[in-house]
Amino acid sequence: MFVVSPDRRDVDAPPPGPSPRRSLDRERDLASLAVLAERTRPVSSSQTRLLPVVPPLADLLPDGGLRRGSTVVVTGLAGGGPEGSGGDISVALALLAAASGTGSWCALVGLPGLGAVAAHDLGIDLARSAVVPRPGVAWAEVTAALIEGVDLVMLCPPFPPRPAMARRLVARARERRSVLVVVPGRAGWPEHPDLHLGVSDMRWDGAGTGEGYLSGRRMTVTATGRRSAARPRHRHLWLPSATGAVAEDATGTGTAG
Amino acid sequence: MDRLLVLRCPDLLDEDEDGAALRSFVEVVDAMEAYCPWITTVRPGLCSLPARGPARYFGGEGALIRSIVGATSDITPVEVGVADGLFAAVLAARRGLVVPPGGTPDFLAPLPVGILGNPGLAELLARLGIHTLGDFAALPASHVLGRFGSDGVTCHRVAGGRSGELAELRQPLAGRRLDEQRRGGRPDGAPRRATVVDEPGFWGGVSDTDVRAGRSLAAVQDLLGPDGVVTARLQGGRGPAQRARFVTWNAREPQEDSTLGAPWPGQIPPPAPVVVHPTPLRAELVDARGEPVRVSGRCLLTTAPGRLSVEEAPWAEVTAWAGPWPSDERWWSRSRRRSARMQAVAGAEAYLLLVERGRWWVEATYG
Repeated sequence: MFVVSPDRRDVDAPPPGPSPRRSLDRERDLASLAVLAERTRPVSSSQTRLLPVVPPLADLLPDGGLRRGSTVVVTGLAGGGPEGSGGDISVALALLAAASGTGSWCALVGLPGLGAVAAHDLGIDLARSAVVPRPGVAWAEVTAALIEGVDLVMLCPPFPPRPAMARRLVARARERRSVLVVVPGRAGWPEHPDLHLGVSDMRWDGAGTGEGYLSGRRMTVTATGRRSAARPRHRHLWLPSATGAVAEDATGTGTAG
Repeated sequence: MDRLLVLRCPDLLDEDEDGAALRSFVEVVDAMEAYCPWITTVRPGLCSLPARGPARYFGGEGALIRSIVGATSDITPVEVGVADGLFAAVLAARRGLVVPPGGTPDFLAPLPVGILGNPGLAELLARLGIHTLGDFAALPASHVLGRFGSDGVTCHRVAGGRSGELAELRQPLAGRRLDEQRRGGRPDGAPRRATVVDEPGFWGGVSDTDVRAGRSLAAVQDLLGPDGVVTARLQGGRGPAQRARFVTWNAREPQEDSTLGAPWPGQIPPPAPVVVHPTPLRAELVDARGEPVRVSGRCLLTTAPGRLSVEEAPWAEVTAWAGPWPSDERWWSRSRRRSARMQAVAGAEAYLLLVERGRWWVEATYG
């Protein structure tokens, strides 16, 4: 029973040697500098066309950020558990993190059990985030009202949306220059989004047969979309990493397909 | 909705240069305060008070009105009305009416939509052949939001007598200046410029984005009730459910908790789960042969986990697990019980499990 499996964290951590780690550190420093520069800027105004996204995810987006007025649909790996299936909520929250950290308001609709610590660790500013845990049958009206004044609206529809309803929300987001991030789960989403992010190849690290702790999860995220984003892009990520944030999985062990 | 008595002083609605109107209104409010201490100044020349309690005390709404008119009509001509909600009560005062309890929707129904003070909306409604508040109120709420936005929803609720608050009705700044007057601070009645500057943003925010977001969130609270919109505050605690608390959204609340950085013994290290179930989900955990997995008194598993089922969903193979760790704390039940936590990866999901008295629960999902 107490078979000691190799601790993945040790295997995957860059060796303490000199060169490869240096360049990695530098890259990371530069990235955090960029984030800092973004943070010190005044609250993202409605004039800017793009809302910032954390670096490893930004590579997936055709513009390198979330285009105002666009709709993004995030789906997880099939076979996920109830309320939260296979990484979709994590990806959606990570998508909001950088914009939230730079002053944009977020609203999360239809998420009765938001893990606030996880959201905080991903970089979401909880003070500028509002949760509508149980919108009930009024979910579409609630979402429409939020799109009017909130930059980023994350929607987990509690019921399968009718196509006309979905179309209206998409149109409203476009008109109001907000970003609508839909996590359809089992309810589904009848509209073709501007961008679709899908999770594949998920693997948790850190736990074995009793020893350790869950320390992070590797996943492959694939982005497909319209026009400039028509060609699928893949990224191997740690989401969450050992700190609870999102990081690039440099080893790229995923077998994207 | 509150039953409100509104007192309207038609001669004092506009502020004049020397502040005489404002001073007279202060006298009116002072005189009314003898009857009821909970007077709200809506705007210059207009104040309201909750009617129910004082009416019972004075022996009916009629008697209350007579007393108030008697006390104030020496100062200036006054009009009094009673209805449910501020909007209807102001209209009732203009006509000197007492709208019976529950009769507000019928009172409002024949009035023209223009009375809502939203010309854009009135024009749009007129083009759709909707001319009265009653016709407007008859539209389904979901269509109103889709077509007229959140302002439309506010007006729709007011038109149907379900809310009495229109943003334009109140002038908080005037109310504040009145209070200042009544405290005798500024006998000349000239409004201090500074009050405009230090007036806190209505939503407690500073930027335009905050104001916009605040309006949207308030519209949702109109729709779902105040508890429909919450915001998370982090705090110290062991389990994921204890580490955050959700409070009703209110722009004026102070932020963040100080216990966040404090180390908590027995806390499971990060990453934290993305979904913390408001009520734990029932789970079954068995070994490869289908025997239930139990935790011994020394916090050891009796057998290796093989399959997990959450809320009677199909079994998923457990591919990895960590723990169990004892968690000797109060959980959702009041009594102190022995319990243990364990992380398990099953299917495409990782769970934080809690076992108590031989029963397994999913406390959180790493989603």
